Amino acid sequence: MIFLRRQLPLLITLVAGLLFAAQYYVPHPASEQMLTSATKWLQIIGGFALVLGVTSLFHLHAVKIRRQEAGWGYSLVLYAGMLGTIAVGLWADGKESIEGVMTSFGWVYNYMMVPLQGTMFAILAFFIASAAYRSFRARSREAAVLLVAAVIVMMGRVPLGEYLVPLSGDVASWILNVLNASVRRAILIGVSLGAIALSFKIIFGVERSYLGGGKE
Amino acid sequence: MKGDTVTFSERMLKIDRRIIFLVIGLCTLLPLLYPVGLPIKISSEVRGVYDHIESLPEQSVFLLSIDFDPASKPELYPQAIALLRHAFRKNLRVITMTLWVSGTGMADQIVTQVAKEMGKEYGTDYAFLGWSPGGQAVIINMGQDLYSAFPSDYGGRPTKELPVLNGVRNLKDVGYMVDLGAGKPGVEEWYVFGKDKYKFELGGGCTGVMAPGLYPLLRSGQINGLIGGLRGAAEYEILIDHKGQAVAGMDAQSATHIAIIVLVIICNVFYLSLRRAARAQGQAG
Amino acid sequence: MKGQGGEVRRRVRQGWTSPAWLLSLMMGCTGSLLLSCLVFAQEPISTPPEIHVFDTPNDGGGSLTVQWAPASWDGPDVRYQILVGDASSTDPSTFTVMAEFPANSKYLKDTETAWWTRDVDKSWHHIVVRSAKGLEIKDGTSYAVSVATMRDDQRLFTPVIVATPSPDWFNWNQLNNLIIAASFGGLIFYTISHAKRNNIFLRRIPGLDAVDEAIGRATELGKPVLYLTGAHDLHDPSTVAAAVILGKVAKRAALYETELMVPHREPITMAVCQEITKQAYLEAGKPDLFKEDANFFITSDQFSYAAAVDGIMLRKKPAANFFMGHYFAESLLLTETGASTGAIQIAGTDADHQLPFFVTTCDYTLIGEELYAASAYLSKEPVQIGTLRGQDIGKAVILTAIAVGTVLATFGAVTGAEWPQIMLDFLSDVK
Repeated sequence: MIFLRRQLPLLITLVAGLLFAAQYYVPHPASEQMLTSATKWLQIIGGFALVLGVTSLFHLHAVKIRRQEAGWGYSLVLYAGMLGTIAVGLWADGKESIEGVMTSFGWVYNYMMVPLQGTMFAILAFFIASAAYRSFRARSREAAVLLVAAVIVMMGRVPLGEYLVPLSGDVASWILNVLNASVRRAILIGVSLGAIALSFKIIFGVERSYLGGGKE
Repeated sequence: MKGDTVTFSERMLKIDRRIIFLVIGLCTLLPLLYPVGLPIKISSEVRGVYDHIESLPEQSVFLLSIDFDPASKPELYPQAIALLRHAFRKNLRVITMTLWVSGTGMADQIVTQVAKEMGKEYGTDYAFLGWSPGGQAVIINMGQDLYSAFPSDYGGRPTKELPVLNGVRNLKDVGYMVDLGAGKPGVEEWYVFGKDKYKFELGGGCTGVMAPGLYPLLRSGQINGLIGGLRGAAEYEILIDHKGQAVAGMDAQSATHIAIIVLVIICNVFYLSLRRAARAQGQAG
Repeated sequence: MKGQGGEVRRRVRQGWTSPAWLLSLMMGCTGSLLLSCLVFAQEPISTPPEIHVFDTPNDGGGSLTVQWAPASWDGPDVRYQILVGDASSTDPSTFTVMAEFPANSKYLKDTETAWWTRDVDKSWHHIVVRSAKGLEIKDGTSYAVSVATMRDDQRLFTPVIVATPSPDWFNWNQLNNLIIAASFGGLIFYTISHAKRNNIFLRRIPGLDAVDEAIGRATELGKPVLYLTGAHDLHDPSTVAAAVILGKVAKRAALYETELMVPHREPITMAVCQEITKQAYLEAGKPDLFKEDANFFITSDQFSYAAAVDGIMLRKKPAANFFMGHYFAESLLLTETGASTGAIQIAGTDADHQLPFFVTTCDYTLIGEELYAASAYLSKEPVQIGTLRGQDIGKAVILTAIAVGTVLATFGAVTGAEWPQIMLDFLSDVK
C-alpha cells in the first residue's frame, strides 16, 4: 500500500519529469510524438478535472442540505442553478445560438452569467478608488514617490490627462517601459528560479507535499 | 478653529466609501451619456500589432485566440472587434479559438458578429474552432497537428474540410497570431508553449492590470506588440479608422482617472494638515 | 609688364591649339575612358569554388543545409539559385528550384546559431532547404543539390553534391541551456545537503512578526482568523508556501484557542491543508479543538469564490485576514472588503500583477520570494532553507552575468572586437 501511495507516484514523477525535461533538448520526431501523446492525455485528464470540480460541489452542498446547516437554502438555489443550466445546455447541445437564434442556454449565458461576471469585475473600479483614497498618502518618502508615479501614470494613460499635461504620456510610457519592465523582470527572474527549483525537487522526490498526507 | 479643522480633516480622511463610489459612478456614467471625444495618442506597443497585420499579404493565416471570459469583456471585447475588423479588411484567413471554456459563447458571438458585418463567409474566410480542454496542452498539440487538437470546429464540422485551413498543418503555418488574454492561459503561455517552440510571430492583448507585467516580453521582442486595456483598444480603433466602444469609453476612463487623482490629492492635503496639526500640538504640549 | 602679360596670354592661346596639347588631351581622354571601363566593367561570374551540402544539424529532419564562401561577384545584379533533384540525376538544369535570392543576401551571420555549432565563417552564405510545393524533402532519402549563379542570361551550375536529411537526437544549440539548467539543479541539491549539515542564516521577514500580532488581536476581540491559500493548486510553489505558513498560523490559533476559517478553491489543496491544520493542533497540544470543517471547499470559479469569501468576511467579521498564495483579479475584491471590516490583513504572493492591490490594501505584504522565504523561515526545514540559499546564489550568478555581459557588450560595440560576442553567445538562447 505504501508502494502504491508513495513509491510508485514518486517513480512516475521521476521518470516522466526527466523524460519531458529531456524532450526540450531532443528535436527528433519521436520526441515530438511523445510530447503530442502526453499533451493529448493531459487534455483528456483536464476534461475529467471539470467533472471532479462539479462532483465536489454537488457533494458538499448535498451534505449541507441533508443536515440543514445554516444557509442550506442557498445550497438548494445552487443545485437549481447548476441542474437547470446543465439541462438547458444539453437541450441546446451546448450551443448559445443556432442559426442566429439564441437558445435557452444562450439566454442563461447572456442574461445571467455575463452580467454577473461583469458586475463582479466592475466592482474593482470602485474598490480601487476607495483603496487609493485610503492608502495613497505621503506617509514617508517612498510613499510619496509611489504617489507621484501613480499620479503621472494615471494622467498619462488617458486622453484627458495627456491633453492637460502633454508630457505625462511620454513620462508614463517611460515609467512603464523602463522602470516597470526592469522591476517586473527582476521579480520574474526570482519567481522563475523558485519554480525551477521546485520542479527539480518534485522530479527527484525531495518535495513530496503534493502527495498529501502528514510528515513521514 | 484649529480644533474644528482637525475634526474636519479627520472626518474627510474617514469619509464613507459610498461617497467615493458615487463620485466614480457619476464620472463613469456622465461621459458615456455626454461624450467629449478627446484626441488619443497612438503608442508604439499598439502600433506594433497594427503594423504587423498591415504587412501581411492577403490570404495569410491569422490566428486569434480569445482567451477571456465575460468578466473581462469591457476591455478585451473592443480589442477583439477591432482586430477582427482589421484582419477581415486585409482579407486574411482568420482562425479563431479560445482556451477559456467560460468565454466560448462570447467568442462565437464576437466572430459571427464581425464576420457578418464585413460580409465574410464561414469556412472560406474564417473559422471558429471553439474550445478544447487542457490549456497549454492545446497549444502544444496545435503546434504539432492542428487537426488533432481541433478535429472539428465549434459547429461540429471536420476542420480538415474547411477551405480556410488549406495548407495549415500546425502553428508553424500561421502567419501571425494574437492572443487576447485575461489571465492564465494567456499571452505568456502562448509564448512559452507556442512561439518559443514553433516560431510564429506573436502579438498580445490584455487587460490594463496585466499590461505592465507583459512589458518585459514586449521589450525583449518575444511579442511584437501589446494592446493594453481599453486604452489600447481605443488606439487600435483609431488606427483602423473605425471608432467603437473603446473610444467611447475613453472619456469615462479619463474622467474616472482624474477623479481618483483629485481624491488622492484631497486626501493628502487633509492628511498633511492633520500631521502638521498633530506636530504643532506635540510641540505646544 | 603689360606687354609681357599679353605675350604670355598669346602663348597660352597658341598652346591650346598646338598639336602637343591636342595629343595630351587625347591621351587623357583615352586614359579616362579606359579607367571608367575598368571600374564599370562587370566582373565575370563563376560558380562558388567551395560548397558544403549536408543534413541540417540539430533539427527534427526534413531539411538540408547549403553553405558556400562569399565571392567577389556577390551583388544585387547576381542571383543564386538552389536546385534540388533526385540523387540519381546529374543534370542540375532538370532539378527543382527550391530557392532564389540576390547574391548579396542569405549569410550565416543573419541566422541565429551558436558559435560552438558553427564550422565555417559567419560571412559564408547559408541557406536551409525545406520541402516546398515542387518537392518534398523526406528523411532518409538522398537528394542531389546544386547551386546556380545567374546574371542576365548567364547561368552557371556547381557540380552536384548528394546529401540525405535525417532527424537528430540532440540540439547542440541548446547545450548552454542544458549546462545552465543542470548546474542550477546541482546547486540546489548541494545547498539542500549543506543546509542539512549546517545552520544557514535566514533574515527575519518583517511580515512574519505581524502574524503573531494579528492572531493575538483576533483572540482579544474574540473574532475568528481567516486564511486563504490562493487560486492555484499544490503544483505551484506559492500554494506550497501558503500551506506551510498555514501550519504556523494554525498552531498559534490553537494555542490562543481562536477560531480558524480556511475556505478553499481547490479540493486537493483543501485535503492537504486539513492534514496540516490537524497536525498543527496536535503539536499545540489542543487536538480536541480541531474542527474538520475549519478547511472547507467553496468553488473553483474565481468570482464565485470571491463573492463567497466576501460574504464570510461581512458576516463573521474576522479580525485577521491572511492572503497567501497566487491570486488574480479577485485579490482587490477580497482585500478591500476585508479592509472595510477593519481586519488586520497580511498578504504574501508571487503574482506580480496583483502586488499593487495587496500593497495598498493590506497592512503587510510579502512580495514574491519573501513568501517562499517566509515558509522556509517558519518550517526551518533544511530542504526549504537550502532551496532558498540555492536560489539566492542563482540570482547572484545572474546579476554577475548581467553586469559582465553589459560591460562586454559595450566594449564590443565601442571597439568592434568580436571576442566579447563569444562570451555573450553562451548566455543567449538559440534553438
